Amino acid sequence: MALPDLHTTAGGWRRRGFLGLTAGAGAAALLGTAGCGAGGTGGGSGDDKTLTLACEGGGKTELQPIVDRFKQATGVTVTLVELPYEGLFNRLSSELSGNRPSFDVCAVDAVWIPLLAGKLAPLDELFTDAVKADLFPALVQEAQADGHFIGMPVWTNSEILFYRKDLFDDPKEKAAFERKYGYPLAPPTTWQQFTDTAVFFTRPEQKLYGTDVKGAVETEWLAHVLQAGSPGVVLDDDGGVIVDNAQHLAALTFYADLNNKHKVAPAGAAQTDWNAAQNLFNQGQTAMTRFWAHAYRQIPADAKVAGKVGAAPMVGGTAGVAGIHGPWYLSAPKGGAKADLAKQFIKAAYDNNALSVETTLGLAARKSAYQQYATKPGYESFGPLLATLNASATRPRPASPHWQRIVDGVLVPTIQKALTPDADYAALLRAARTQIEGIVK
Amino acid sequence: MSPTAQAAPPRTVPDAPTQSPRRVRRGLSDARYAALLAAPAAVVLLALVGWPLVKLAVDSLYTGSGLGDGRRFAGLDNYLTALTDPGIRAAAGRTLAYTLIVVTAELALGLAVALLFHRLGPRSRILQTVFLYPLMIAPVVAGLLWRFLMIDNVGIVNELLARIGVLDNPGDVSWLSDPDLVLFSVALPDVWLTTSFMTLVLYAGLQAIPPDLYEAARLDGARGLRLLVSVTLPLLRPVIAVALIIRGVDAARAFDVILIQTDGGPQSASETLSLTIYKTMVSYNDPGTAAATSTVFMIVMMLVAMVAVLTIWRPGRES
Amino acid sequence: MTHARLARLRTGLLWAVAVAVVAAYAFPFVYLVLTSFKPATDAVAVPPTVLPRRFSLDNYLTALDRPGVTASFVNSVSTAIVATVLSMALAIPAAWGITRYRSRAGRMLMAGSLLVRMAPAVAIGIPLVTILGALGLTDTPTGLALAQTTVALPLSIWLLASFFEGVPREIEEAALVDGCGRFGALLRVILPVVSGGVAVTAIFAFLASWNEFLFALLLTSVRAQTTPIAIANFQSQFGLDWGPMTALATLYSVPAVVLTLLLQRRIVAGLSLGAVKG
Repeated sequence: MALPDLHTTAGGWRRRGFLGLTAGAGAAALLGTAGCGAGGTGGGSGDDKTLTLACEGGGKTELQPIVDRFKQATGVTVTLVELPYEGLFNRLSSELSGNRPSFDVCAVDAVWIPLLAGKLAPLDELFTDAVKADLFPALVQEAQADGHFIGMPVWTNSEILFYRKDLFDDPKEKAAFERKYGYPLAPPTTWQQFTDTAVFFTRPEQKLYGTDVKGAVETEWLAHVLQAGSPGVVLDDDGGVIVDNAQHLAALTFYADLNNKHKVAPAGAAQTDWNAAQNLFNQGQTAMTRFWAHAYRQIPADAKVAGKVGAAPMVGGTAGVAGIHGPWYLSAPKGGAKADLAKQFIKAAYDNNALSVETTLGLAARKSAYQQYATKPGYESFGPLLATLNASATRPRPASPHWQRIVDGVLVPTIQKALTPDADYAALLRAARTQIEGIVK
Repeated sequence: MSPTAQAAPPRTVPDAPTQSPRRVRRGLSDARYAALLAAPAAVVLLALVGWPLVKLAVDSLYTGSGLGDGRRFAGLDNYLTALTDPGIRAAAGRTLAYTLIVVTAELALGLAVALLFHRLGPRSRILQTVFLYPLMIAPVVAGLLWRFLMIDNVGIVNELLARIGVLDNPGDVSWLSDPDLVLFSVALPDVWLTTSFMTLVLYAGLQAIPPDLYEAARLDGARGLRLLVSVTLPLLRPVIAVALIIRGVDAARAFDVILIQTDGGPQSASETLSLTIYKTMVSYNDPGTAAATSTVFMIVMMLVAMVAVLTIWRPGRES
Repeated sequence: MTHARLARLRTGLLWAVAVAVVAAYAFPFVYLVLTSFKPATDAVAVPPTVLPRRFSLDNYLTALDRPGVTASFVNSVSTAIVATVLSMALAIPAAWGITRYRSRAGRMLMAGSLLVRMAPAVAIGIPLVTILGALGLTDTPTGLALAQTTVALPLSIWLLASFFEGVPREIEEAALVDGCGRFGALLRVILPVVSGGVAVTAIFAFLASWNEFLFALLLTSVRAQTTPIAIANFQSQFGLDWGPMTALATLYSVPAVVLTLLLQRRIVAGLSLGAVKG
């Protein structure tokens, strides 16, 4: 079975799971969906042996083994209500704003936290020092709002570098590359090496390009911004707009020049999204791709590149390697009728985090869970993923309730404008600054 | 006994209450009975359309949502935003352009095909049948299908164009990722879906034109294009007007076809008003502005449609 | 002689043009069907091919195997049936009342139905979410059918009114003399006269619901999801699933397309009548 995008960061339909806006909103509460009305209203089954958990497709895959284990241990049945990405956001925002949630636990995408924070129950007692030490620092930071922990990370993800081992290991390619660039062919670790390698493998007549350039999503550019050493992406820690600082400009120049100047990407960069990039790589059209780590385990057996894919940490800039986290959290609604049971399940999800690694999605949130598997065959992507997530420049996205609007309304259009010949990157970022200031004012 | 026999003589006084004893017994005037017949439909439409619209108008006066700082009365602030926000204004311009593209293309293509079928006569029925099928296809399917046809790298359209030599390289035209082109590209499935409707309507209109009118014009020496301009088009005018209004209104509201193809991108170059409203409401969590924008949009649509009805349709043919 | 030959040549040329136009028009759907029979990785091959390299049913198996897909067919059918029955039950008396008695209220209803068509569906759909929610109808086929009635009902009223237009008054009067009540006359005498038109209208009401997307998107999540939503889900959530998506789109479109081909004559009559008069 295929798996949903985890890269939750991108806005828009194609860029992430899409679907039915459950307007169900207020109504579902009245209907007592799945017979489990928190908030004291519905669900004649006000017993203490059931919980309802709202999540999206990937969450269901990831959480099922934990739910099974929880049932064994406590006898409590957890019903996973699976909603598509947009539908989940709508259900959470409308039911929480009406204070009538139909769920006891919910999976929350990192970017929703600032918006939903006021309606989520504090989970401070779950965050012991040992717990904090086993979680990536960016996640510990992101899980807090107004001084309280309101979400427990269940899995996280980052872009890493995928490359074609058959090309990179080919002696003829190696010799030719070294002749041309004066250093050995290897998975690139810096922007310059990445550019060189992409130029080297760009051979349109053989239908092969160095890499893809994704114009329809923004997180990849933001990862480069962190690699350049920016104190934050788009907004600084105080909420000031820094989208036109030198690091943003350097990252955009690197990102867009791959398309405009070096022409190392296949046609249609402006609308290239995760799906398109993944397909191009699996079809053997690109020699390298910067992509979310979970994709490593999702390469179809009949794909042209099956068995020929290598994984390496994300490339680095002047501040070294950095990635953008793509985490999901488990939270409970404030004032829920089964708050204690909900908290108990969330703790169990943390304790059994490693169980998720063996699912088809294969992601976790605890360092120890990743480390446990990093050396096993089939999990070659974990080492690079850990390296990227542990990198000191890796940071969460800013906690702004306007984030989605900034992404859809400003960041993605700015990247797309930058992917046209003769684009003035600095001017584009200045214009973006004005627009973002208008949104966050 | 037979309908004709009975009805022939007294037809002129259908409403005279004494005409038939049954009418007296019914005790319900025609107007009341007619209103009673229409009442359920009217009630349902009021409940399912009228009520939402009232609610929309109320929502448009508030700002904020249930999350965060909550809802506050904002007066006409949202309307100010709806009328001045550059993004919304640009979307309004694109909606107009999109509507013009769709309607013009459909009218030209639909008229050409209708004339062709009319000229070929009843033997073209099989072709007509095939031409009709897109009407039945869901807009979502059409949008996905055309996206699949035109998408960069995987699309068959450019591949075929390259093979027949129109393009040097399949990557030369980026239908869905070139902001200068994308508004035309996203209109294609709409045109494909509903040109059949235009053709059907115009074909029916053409068949209603008495052949002797053509004969008379031919005797006067009119041929080809002259015949079209001086006889056919004027006679088709009411039919064209109806078709244009119906399709214009639908095109201006276009939503699913575009959402599926580009989600409004790139650079918002294919984001029409319906999409802007949807995003403002759903993704940006700003129901007030969304409601104000919809209200303005709807009022403008009604005004435009009313003007169109009054000027080109010229009703009044009815009783 | 030359004149006749020239005319024949011209007719031949026109036929060729017509065939070419229709072929171009048919191509997208044919390509959709062909793609659905390719293996999943071939469906998104770069560069693409028109014909399948290998015939495969994998896309169909994958598509139908996805959770919720078969249920979505059931939902689509039941929603469309409820919407059709509801629209027809409301539209038949209304349209008859309007055409037969020509009252002011009737004209207002006709104008109102037209106005409904001008409201952006988003503008109606978003408040409807809350309203149907308050009635406990979110995520149910009935709730969705009610919402879709806002599309199907005005359409049905206009179409039916144009059919009733052609019914001579004498028929009703004869029925009244024969002892029917006015409503009985409508059901037992008038409706059979325009049964063809009623059937066409019902088909259009059914299709309006069958193909509807936005309300389904706004009003359903798990239990009442219809197939257009399931189709749209493929390409966004699952990057590489164009293949199964084409299979599901084919399955969903085939009944409608077959219906068109079978009932072409009636549909043409219904559509053009409704539009020309309407």
